[in-house]
Order: sequence, then C-alpha cells, then structure tokens
Amino acid sequence: MPSQIVVTGLGIISPIGIGVSEFWKAALDGRSGVSTIAGFDPFPMDGYRSKVAGQIHGFAPERYLDSVQAERVDRYAQFALVATKEALADSGLQLAKENPRRIGVIVGAGMGGMVMGEREITQLYQSQRPHRVHPNFIPVITLNSASGIVAMAHGAKGPNYTISTACSSSAHALGQAMQCIREGRADVVITVGADASITPLVFAGFCSLRALSTRYNDQPERASRPFDRLRDGFVMGEGAGALVLESASHAKKRKARIYAEVAGYAATSEAYHMVIPREDGEEIASTMRLAMADAGIAASQIDYINAHATSTSIGDAVEAKAIRQVFRSRADSIAVSATKSLVGHTLGAAGAIGGIASVLAIHTGQIHPTANYEEPDPACALRGIKAAVQERKVKAALLNAFGFGSNNAAVVIKRYAA
Amino acid sequence: MSDRDVTEKIVAALADYLKRDPASIQLDHHLRDDLGLDSMAVIELLYKIEEVFDLQIPDQDLVALSTVGAVAQYVEQRLVPVKRPARPSAKGKKTT
Repeated sequence: MPSQIVVTGLGIISPIGIGVSEFWKAALDGRSGVSTIAGFDPFPMDGYRSKVAGQIHGFAPERYLDSVQAERVDRYAQFALVATKEALADSGLQLAKENPRRIGVIVGAGMGGMVMGEREITQLYQSQRPHRVHPNFIPVITLNSASGIVAMAHGAKGPNYTISTACSSSAHALGQAMQCIREGRADVVITVGADASITPLVFAGFCSLRALSTRYNDQPERASRPFDRLRDGFVMGEGAGALVLESASHAKKRKARIYAEVAGYAATSEAYHMVIPREDGEEIASTMRLAMADAGIAASQIDYINAHATSTSIGDAVEAKAIRQVFRSRADSIAVSATKSLVGHTLGAAGAIGGIASVLAIHTGQIHPTANYEEPDPACALRGIKAAVQERKVKAALLNAFGFGSNNAAVVIKRYAA
Repeated sequence: MSDRDVTEKIVAALADYLKRDPASIQLDHHLRDDLGLDSMAVIELLYKIEEVFDLQIPDQDLVALSTVGAVAQYVEQRLVPVKRPARPSAKGKKTT
C-alpha cells in the first residue's frame, strides 16, 4: 500500500481570483475579496444585519464549462467543475491513459445547491402548484451533485462521495482522500471543496445566528479580520478549491510535478455543542496532535499553521489557546495565517482553499498575510500572525478546520521528499 | 405597555424557554451564570423577545444584555420612542 500521498494539481475559484495564479497573487498582496451585497433580487438588503460577503462577481459558467453540464447543476457545483478542470490540467494527468476505476472524487460541501433550492421552495409555497417544481430540483439539491458531476465530467469511476460537516467539510475531504489512496482504493483522488450559498435564506440564517460581522457594512474589505481585536463575526464567502491527490509512486511513474505531501489527518468530535467550541481548546489541541501523530511528525517540526480562524470572537481565541497548548514555547515562532481574512468563510470550500494556501506556502516559501490584522487581541495573540507576507521555508504545515455539529479536522501537509 | 408588563413578558418568555416556574426567575439573575443559558440560548431567547415586542436587536447591543433585569430595561427603553437614546450610526460604530 502506498505510504506517501502527494498533491500534483491545484485549482481554485475564489472572491480574490479565478485560477491559482490570480488567487495567489492577490493573496500575497493581502487583498480582501469581501464586498457589499447588492441585494437579493427582488428584495433589498435593509432587513439584513450583515450586508457584506466574499462574492465571486461576474461568474459566467459558460466561459469555463459546456452549457449542458453547467445548466444541470447549482452554482456551487459549477464552481467545483471549474476548480477541478484547472486542477486536472495543472496535474498533467492524461485521463485517457488512466484506469478510470482507480480515480476517485471526494467533495466537501456544507450547504450544497441552495440557489435552486431556495427558489423552488419559495415558488412552491407561493404558487401552490407542485407540478411546477422543476424536474431537476432533487438531483440539484442532493448533496452529492458536485461529486457526481465532477466524476461524469472526467470519467472518474473510483470511490465517489461527498462529505458534509459544515465548515470543515473539505478538510475532511482532503483527509479522506489521503486515506482512500493510502488504503489502496484509488491511485488518484480529485478532492474538492465547494459552496455557494450567499442566498437570501442561508444568509438570513447566519444573520439570525448572530455569527456574521455587522460592524463593517460600510467598509466591506475590513470586515473579515481574524485574530484582530476589533473582529466581530465571520464574513460569508463562496468558492471552490480542488486538489489532485495521488500516490507518490503513481505521480513519479508519470513524472508529475509534486507540490507537497498530504501526510496526516485527524477527525474528532467535541460532542459538546452544535455551534460553540469548547472554550478550553482541549479538543482542538487533541485533533492537531492526532493529525501530527498520523503523519509521524513531532510538534517541533511544524512551521506553519493555516488556521481555521473565522474572525469570530470566541472561535479565534479558542484556536489560539489550543495552538499554545500544543506548541507551548514554540507557539510564537510558528507562522500562522488566516485565509478567511482574504476570501471570507467559504464554508464547505474553506478546507480546500486553506489547503491550497498551505500547499502553496510549502511550494513557494511564501505565507500569505492575514488581512486586517491591525491590533492583536490579547485573547488570541500569536507572534506568527502577520499582516505582511512571511518568507519562510515551510517544511510542514498544519491545516485546521472546525465545523458546526461539534466536529474538528486537522491535516498535515509537508514538503515532499522521496 | 408598562414597564411591569414588559418585565413580566420577558420573565414569561424565559420561563417558557427554560421550562421552569416564572416565580423562580429574578431580575438580578445572570442569563449565563444563574440561568445556565449559553450564547446560543441567549440568541434564541432574544429571537423570541424580538418577536414578542416587534423589535430588532442589533448585534452590538447583545453584550450588555447579561441579566434578566438588563434585558427588561433594554426592551423598555426600546419601546418608548421618546426616551429612546439616539442610536449611533453605522459609521460611528465601526470606528470605535
């Protein structure tokens, strides 16, 4: 069974760029992709407490996808298709030469097809004409529509499933993809995280949860500010990230460029509260330790943490506390960055997008800034959080992701050495 | 609506939420420390209060609503337009 699983292709669609090079350039500039929501046609934003989000403006699916494919699925799955297409091209995989049964697809999605979902539900309740519910409603809102359409688009006949653990969905997808290859069930797994639910109902729901930033409605680019003293909630985002994972032997046989190795993964539950993390940080600390143990590396070897860091008051503080518990005297010498400061919280896509930022940190030696980190909060101050780019040879990185439903994930990504 | 009515309605909402006798709820009870409401439960309670009193409570006001009495006093103030303090504009808030 393969012992090393590597990343050979990346693809992304995000509020700061479509395509990896555009994304990474904007990320290194520390540019915020958060903007004002123009309104949820037909009604305005007046009734919403929060009015900003990390939106992908002007996305025209037909520019990237054939129209039949694009029309059959919701926005999040279109994002998944676009990111996958780029990642596969980037990997250099020639699918025609591969055994399709050895290529899997694992997608992480938190909300799924909410654009059509909300529209159809509204229409049914208003019209009371059940026979006018769109025939494609069920296939679109079924949560594995993205993993299905991605496999169909590329003829991937291996393991195919969707993981839905809210905000940690695609970190789990990444970990599960690694395990799938490690267990010998596939040579290649296309791993995707995708969500696009800046929709009237979902957005209202997050407002009602009092989870979103409301203080920066007039300055959207300042709203997502993880670890900063003036943070006041997360900012919703949308997008997708795709990573092509394969066994190192498979990658070497086809002389592929290897970005990094996915070396370890842990999945835990706090079994505590639907939306609140345990304040002592013990469960998060334990998840990070388990992931490092799975990777066979010591805490002393981690030089970068791509934090979950959503910009909520309690969440960021608990994560920082957990980092201190695990890394003790080294906690301040580890580089930490929050990708959500740039793109907002893309929910089910967050783990994959953070994973891409981690892979690129290892590959390029540059760690993107944490935007809006202006004044450290004593409750979560770590010296490795910077508002500027950090140049550092990252040998091993830890990706954190936590989700509603009391669930945690951590993934270790490291520099590949044969 | 008199201040007493407001308080009674809030205590009733709390008693209903907590499934306990309204008489056992006091104004100086701390929502978290005495009544055991976590932050999510406070949000649910305020959601109910918003409906009962036809109010919208901005996120920024939540932090001051720590006791039963503070919630009652807040709602009373919000219900009397004359007494209601000028609410800071969004612009004023974010610069603090």
